[in-house]
Amino acid sequence: MNFMYLYLPVALTSVNVLIPVGLGLAVGLLSGLFGVGGGFLMTPLLIMLGIPSTVAAATDSNQIVAASTSGTYAHWKVGNVDFKMGLYLLIGGFIGGLFGVQAIKILKATGNADFVIKMTYVLMLGIVGTYMFIESLSSMKKNKTQKVKTEKESATGRFLKSLPLQTHFEKSGVTHSALVPIFFGGFVGILAAIMGVGGGFLMVPVMVYLLRMPMHVVVGTSLFQILFNCIEVTFLQAYTNHTVDFILAVLLLLGSTIGAQIGAVFGRKLNGEQLKIILAVIVLVVTVKIISELTLTPSLFLSQGGGH
Amino acid sequence: MRQFKIQNLKFKIIVFVIFAFLFFNFAFSGVASAELTIKANHNHIKIDFFYHGSTVSVKGTSDPDTDLIIKITSPEGHEVLKQKGKIAGLLWMNTGTLKFENIFNLYSIHSTKKIEDILSNEETDKYVIGYPALEKHMEISPVSGNEEKDKWFNEFVRFKEASKLYLTSSGKISTTVKDGKLEYYILTDWPYQAPPGDYLVTVYAIKDKKVIEKAETKVMVEQVGIIRTLSNMAKNNGALYGIISIVIALGAGFGVGMIFRKGGGAH
Repeated sequence: MNFMYLYLPVALTSVNVLIPVGLGLAVGLLSGLFGVGGGFLMTPLLIMLGIPSTVAAATDSNQIVAASTSGTYAHWKVGNVDFKMGLYLLIGGFIGGLFGVQAIKILKATGNADFVIKMTYVLMLGIVGTYMFIESLSSMKKNKTQKVKTEKESATGRFLKSLPLQTHFEKSGVTHSALVPIFFGGFVGILAAIMGVGGGFLMVPVMVYLLRMPMHVVVGTSLFQILFNCIEVTFLQAYTNHTVDFILAVLLLLGSTIGAQIGAVFGRKLNGEQLKIILAVIVLVVTVKIISELTLTPSLFLSQGGGH
Repeated sequence: MRQFKIQNLKFKIIVFVIFAFLFFNFAFSGVASAELTIKANHNHIKIDFFYHGSTVSVKGTSDPDTDLIIKITSPEGHEVLKQKGKIAGLLWMNTGTLKFENIFNLYSIHSTKKIEDILSNEETDKYVIGYPALEKHMEISPVSGNEEKDKWFNEFVRFKEASKLYLTSSGKISTTVKDGKLEYYILTDWPYQAPPGDYLVTVYAIKDKKVIEKAETKVMVEQVGIIRTLSNMAKNNGALYGIISIVIALGAGFGVGMIFRKGGGAH
């Protein structure tokens, strides 16, 4: 008997306890810092550990429930969660998720689903990462020369202002039509469902650039929104697919709940632009990693998860 | 009428003799030559909280002039796996699924000498001993022709070997002759990747390139304790299992948040 190893009853494999706890800590840190769930990092790492892909994805969402609760709590204490905005985004995300699931069915019927999904994923990560990187770099330069940032009134901005149901979001200090967060929440929801990820890395830029919320409120609000998404996903996965591994989730959350707290504390020491540029770099690194995986010859040509 | 009765009696006797013959033949077939025995130690493997694989030893006796092959298999079944291929000559992705039929999830073969040196091809095929025989035994679909079957069979073996479920060795069975009998022994690692179930251990005694005798025993792998409870709950009571998982995650998140506040981590 070796106490360093625990057996996972649903994944049907054994892991060294330090690995998931360490992974949880690292990914939780990212959660607390940037308001992302970190599924785009965690799920592939779990698969590398020998966890079946379906169990990896489902268990990760269970773990994110804990990490995002911990992170939301930490951000809420310092007033960085816009519950009203979060709620509208959630409504949109829920509707978008329903459409996304249908979209997957259609894609699967056309036969080339995997290609489309992977390509969408790479493109999205690449575009979002590059845009955030360039934008935050240029605004960091600007900030050095002129402290006051002038708000540009674009055509899109004027259009958004002309929509009905305008309401003020106090925590974020912005005024939008209620339809705007619902629409963008829905858009992220569709993409997230198609790509099989939580969508935090899409939601954060949407809130920063389209909803023009301050970065620190974005992180807290994103975590709040992710929390509810992951509760729903965990329940559905456990109920319909039986793929949540409780023991693995506990090991992961031991690290991730603490990581999220450290991330939240650390994040307060950085300004919004610094946070954005680090997140952009991480997103770009993940993009490069996925592209290299797609182009390098794999070590095994078969993998699990083709059905029964 | 009388004649009919006699005929009826004759018929009964014939049926009885046939049954008796079959019964004795069946019941004593293993004992008749009585040379080969098998016993597996640690043959009841319990998967508990700290399970990280096990070891299984197989030992027994045989005729001194025989070679031995020990085969450990899971029950036969089928598996559907995703296959990777190149799209547009550039990108590696899942291009479809392959169905592998008449396969064993776990298959390990240990022999005293190289299989091809001690056993004829007809015999290996008959008893499904060794990878070439396994390839003939299994069906892979969809594949076009034998070349593609070869390719995917090799990939299948590599996939299984990567998770330690397939294994072959020769020369690792230790043997000693004692009291005119060959005593054999092998200790093998039991991979934690092998799921719960009953596994069959068969030893084949081989002489003149033929299997002259075989004996079988079982290895039982079973989940116990918390592992069993959780596994059953996940399968049979998904809703409750999901709710408990969520509540514990929420509790852990809040709990850690509280601890950090008390610890002064935030301001």
